[in-house]
Amino acid sequence: MDFAVKLAFDLLAFTSVMVLIVLGLGVVASMMGIFNFAHGEFVLLGAYTVYIFHEGGLPIWAGIVAAPFVLAIFGALLERSVIRRFYAAPIIAMLGTYAIGLVIRETVRGLLGGHYKSIPEPLPGVFTIGDLDFSVWRTVIIAITLLVILASWLLLARTSIGLQIRGALENPALARSCGIATPRLYTLTFAFGSALAGLAGALIVPLYQLSADIGLRFLVQAFLSVMLGGVGTFEGPVLGAAAVGATAAGLPWLVIPVLADPLVFVIALVIVKFRPQGFITQGRL
Amino acid sequence: MTQRKEEAPARGLSRRRLLSGAGALSAAGWIAGTSGGWLLRPKWANAAGSIKMGIATDITGAIAASGNANWQVAQLAIEQINQAGGVAGKSIELYLEDTATDEKKAVGNVRKLIQEHKVNVVLGGITSSMRQAIKDPVVNRGRTLYIYPQLYEGQECTKHLYCTGPTPAQQCDELIPYIINKLGKKRFALPSANYVWPQLLNKYARKVIQANGGEVVFEEYYPLDQPEYSATIGKIRDGKVDCVFNTVIPPGLQPFVKQLYESGFQRNGGVLSCVYYDENLLNYHPAHEMEGLYSCLDYFQSVDDPFSKKLQEAYSKKFPDTKYLFTAGSASTGMYRGIKFYEAAVKETKGDLAREAVSAAMDKGKIAEGPGGGAEMVPGKMHCKMNMYIAQCKVDAGKTRYDVINKYNMVDPKEC
Repeated sequence: MDFAVKLAFDLLAFTSVMVLIVLGLGVVASMMGIFNFAHGEFVLLGAYTVYIFHEGGLPIWAGIVAAPFVLAIFGALLERSVIRRFYAAPIIAMLGTYAIGLVIRETVRGLLGGHYKSIPEPLPGVFTIGDLDFSVWRTVIIAITLLVILASWLLLARTSIGLQIRGALENPALARSCGIATPRLYTLTFAFGSALAGLAGALIVPLYQLSADIGLRFLVQAFLSVMLGGVGTFEGPVLGAAAVGATAAGLPWLVIPVLADPLVFVIALVIVKFRPQGFITQGRL
Repeated sequence: MTQRKEEAPARGLSRRRLLSGAGALSAAGWIAGTSGGWLLRPKWANAAGSIKMGIATDITGAIAASGNANWQVAQLAIEQINQAGGVAGKSIELYLEDTATDEKKAVGNVRKLIQEHKVNVVLGGITSSMRQAIKDPVVNRGRTLYIYPQLYEGQECTKHLYCTGPTPAQQCDELIPYIINKLGKKRFALPSANYVWPQLLNKYARKVIQANGGEVVFEEYYPLDQPEYSATIGKIRDGKVDCVFNTVIPPGLQPFVKQLYESGFQRNGGVLSCVYYDENLLNYHPAHEMEGLYSCLDYFQSVDDPFSKKLQEAYSKKFPDTKYLFTAGSASTGMYRGIKFYEAAVKETKGDLAREAVSAAMDKGKIAEGPGGGAEMVPGKMHCKMNMYIAQCKVDAGKTRYDVINKYNMVDPKEC
């Protein structure tokens, strides 16, 4: 019993990290049709914001709150200046965003001098239930992830701005003829996706460490999650991320760890083979 | 020569100076140093000519922090030697090429050192894969002496290739018996990054553990950037492991150490040891996660040795506020030792720079002083005896430091 509870917590904690990272990527991919290869670096910038606050003697909490706003502004500026030129050419968009990511990554590497920086959790330590220890910060991440999923879903599915965003995705011409300013919506959506990435980076950096490659590690698995879940919906990428996260954390219990890494991909690709449209079929949201 | 003991890079070499300016930027990690390579030449030179020393290290790329520390240590050592009048009347010129944490680029750049600059000796390479990649262009095709400065997995027995960092025997022979006999920990786990250094080090460590009556509960290898270790922590708990002998490396290391700490391993009396951990690496973790960690290296900044202290001061003076510390884990101590061994060898040959002659002198080389103490080549083995220290990480008001627990004089490398 103890073992099962601990295992469930560990799987849930890592799955939450995966979901947090995928959310922003999924929103931008599903709502705008852009595969943002700089997403990992947006996560990095979120983490870097926390680091700047920490270095400046400000509380880490403040950094975590600030990160989504910083990234939203950054995302909006980037969309206005660069990303909107890519809407007509999704393949070029991948290359373009990859280039943006590279610039961000290497700039941060330069600023950090190639070192890793440790950032302590705002709520360190463990709490004990029975004989079991649970990390406080991982519990916070699980809770925030659930909240963020709920809030994002409400925003996209239940508000009028969400309706406009979905309408603009479905039929941009018709949306414009109804008086919806689609360019402004795209900016907003991209800023929202960036903010989610920033929040993810800010929350996970105490679990790992700040290094230029922090986002890169998760990027490939994040894309796998989006592919697995299906593009075009909000739930798809979230479910995909949950599946990939749970598999990645669970497999090392069963097989040797070196094998677990590629096995995640093999399993996901086999699923995609039999369900190429992903878990959720397009256009449901 | 005493009136010309100046050290600034030569004037009038405007292109070179431009390049070294670019080099400084690149060293800060801002731009990739690709084409140029850089030269530091003392102002004085004389009829006796000069010695060309090539440094090939990772100025850019994933382990740039170590590479830049190596380069700075090399600059300091050469500055000191040149200020003291050079070696056998010759000054030393330093040539730097970036190995960029990329073996393909490295081989091309190292060839430049050999073919274009015709250096007399090459020092550098940090990872084992880098050493394997550049040793052939240096030693075999390049017919040049090669000195490898990093602690490593052993078994490198190429002629004219000298290793000046600690070997598995030097890192395990004292530490593991200490953990088993003094600390009373007998059940070992060997979690490791999946590459050659942990694999061969573990092979040796396992022998020492078993010879001392300990037991290896599990030995496991992970992808280098694995972010999640709950399965490993489960095995540590269920296997009643009381010593984790870690060879996981960053970036996979930080989440592992955090999860280990969260599982209460140290609180319940478990010992974490990590034989490559120096002062730099302590900063990669929150201090409380590092408290109590045991390491075994050839030098710690807290080592009680007047020469080491002086050296550390000179380094801080030459590179104030540097991001790149002079520590053992980053190959910096091996770099200093390697340069001093070469200096001693050329003194012995009275300025003869032919590889065979210098190599013969290196083989019997001895240096009286260095970081952590002197060192002495084991004749015919291309590895050196050096002092080793067991140290434990202590935390004071959120700041980490190493307390040296034991010193072992002139530990044998047991290689070749």
